Amino acid sequence: MIKRLTQTTALVAFGCAVLSPAPVLAAGDPWSGVPAAERPAAGTPDLNGGWIMKDRPKAIRTVDGKAPPLLPAAKAEYDKRQAALKANPASDPIASCLMHGVPRIFYSPYPLLIAQEKDRVNFVFEANHTFRVVSLTRKPPNPADVDPAWLGYSAGRWDGKALVIDTVGFNDRSWLDYSGMPHSDQLKVEERYVLKDADTIEGRVTITDPKTFSAPWTTAFTLVRQANYQPTERVCVRDHQM
Amino acid sequence: MRLNLLRTLALAGGAALLAGSAVLAQPTSLDTARKDGEGIPESQWEPTRPPADPHDLTGLWEMPRVGVTLRLDDGGMPPFTPLGASENKRYDDAQKAGNVIADAPTHCFPHGVPRLTTAPYPIRFVHTPGLIVMLHEVAHNVRYIHMDGKPAPANAPKTFLGYSIGRWDGNTLMVETTHLNTDTMLDTRIGHGPNLKVTERWTKIKNKLGNTILRDVITIDDTERFTRPWSVTRDFAYRSDIQKDRWSEGLVEYSCEENNRNVPDANGIDTAK
Repeated sequence: MIKRLTQTTALVAFGCAVLSPAPVLAAGDPWSGVPAAERPAAGTPDLNGGWIMKDRPKAIRTVDGKAPPLLPAAKAEYDKRQAALKANPASDPIASCLMHGVPRIFYSPYPLLIAQEKDRVNFVFEANHTFRVVSLTRKPPNPADVDPAWLGYSAGRWDGKALVIDTVGFNDRSWLDYSGMPHSDQLKVEERYVLKDADTIEGRVTITDPKTFSAPWTTAFTLVRQANYQPTERVCVRDHQM
Repeated sequence: MRLNLLRTLALAGGAALLAGSAVLAQPTSLDTARKDGEGIPESQWEPTRPPADPHDLTGLWEMPRVGVTLRLDDGGMPPFTPLGASENKRYDDAQKAGNVIADAPTHCFPHGVPRLTTAPYPIRFVHTPGLIVMLHEVAHNVRYIHMDGKPAPANAPKTFLGYSIGRWDGNTLMVETTHLNTDTMLDTRIGHGPNLKVTERWTKIKNKLGNTILRDVITIDDTERFTRPWSVTRDFAYRSDIQKDRWSEGLVEYSCEENNRNVPDANGIDTAK
């Protein structure tokens, strides 16, 4: 084993012509430990770190506090889900460890990590160890070209100080919230995240889904920073017997 | 047809001989390669160039060859203790009899370490203050490597992926993982005890063709199952080329819970994950 390690060391010395100091943690540097080439441009809002939703809603509401403008068939589906949920909490897709969808994943009671890079923003949720990797260099796809997905297909961009994410290509199986709010495969989600102060992100989410809602509508939520965030491994264990 | 040929590849020991065939059917993508030894020819290991900075692991990395089964780098068996050997035999016998004993990922639990590292799916490395995050396509596993220089908390629970501490040793990212629960396996047939420590040494190196690859030298330290620490090496290719035509920056959504990645082949057979 010693011989093998020595060989590895020799390969390393041969292989890396580029010398750079190992990244170190520096107090006060929000990008500490992030390689220089991967850091966002100076002045980019610092969303890095652990966050959790403040005042989680049970049922999603518009920014005016109203019920979303469900079309009649979708309203019937919503009522059916609520009755089923009351009778059997396991009728919720996440009770079977299926993915939460967007924006529901933000409503989970567990924190998320935001990790910013020059070309993408990563959202890593503790809930069912779910992650979204959002490119900042791509455009959203044509929904007809992609397989429907629980988390859809996202493309992000900075609009001034707001991080804007457009997501399409959802399946119609996730719920928008914990109460059973439905959506179709025509769902488009626009998220806007603004750092209001160092410890607060204001999120505004606009839902467009002509098969489910009579008009686009917007909901809002607040994420609060988790000081000294330490991620926790959480597994979804229902029905699993080891 | 190609799949049938590939299935004749030896499962273990690296003896990739095709019985009774002069034609070596070589898959060009890991999407079709799921058995040890299958994969991409070495000449194709660097479709795009990774960041030059040896301390920048950002991007998508994937083992060009499937290497789930762990053996010593010279092909030999791990140095089992009697308990380790008997447990390995129990799993081996069950597999040979067609009664594979399910392990954690079969139930959509996290894979364990190093079982996760050697799963034949891409990994995205993300550097963020205090952490290196490894996002795995397979079953949306997430590993957090703590880079804050602190030891594991005294009250850290035992988990599927354990508690990982990383530090740079020159150009090598050294990751020590402890606090691993015993519900996971090291590979599909080698189990571990409660005091397993896994040390990974991740280094960008040049291979013999001059391609930059990411080498992981994995050292297993588990006195219950092995008579001494032993190491296994896995090489990863930089695959950010697949970002272009796959979403989520190259990581395809993998919902283990609904089995959405076990797509049946032309013969109606869905390959195991």
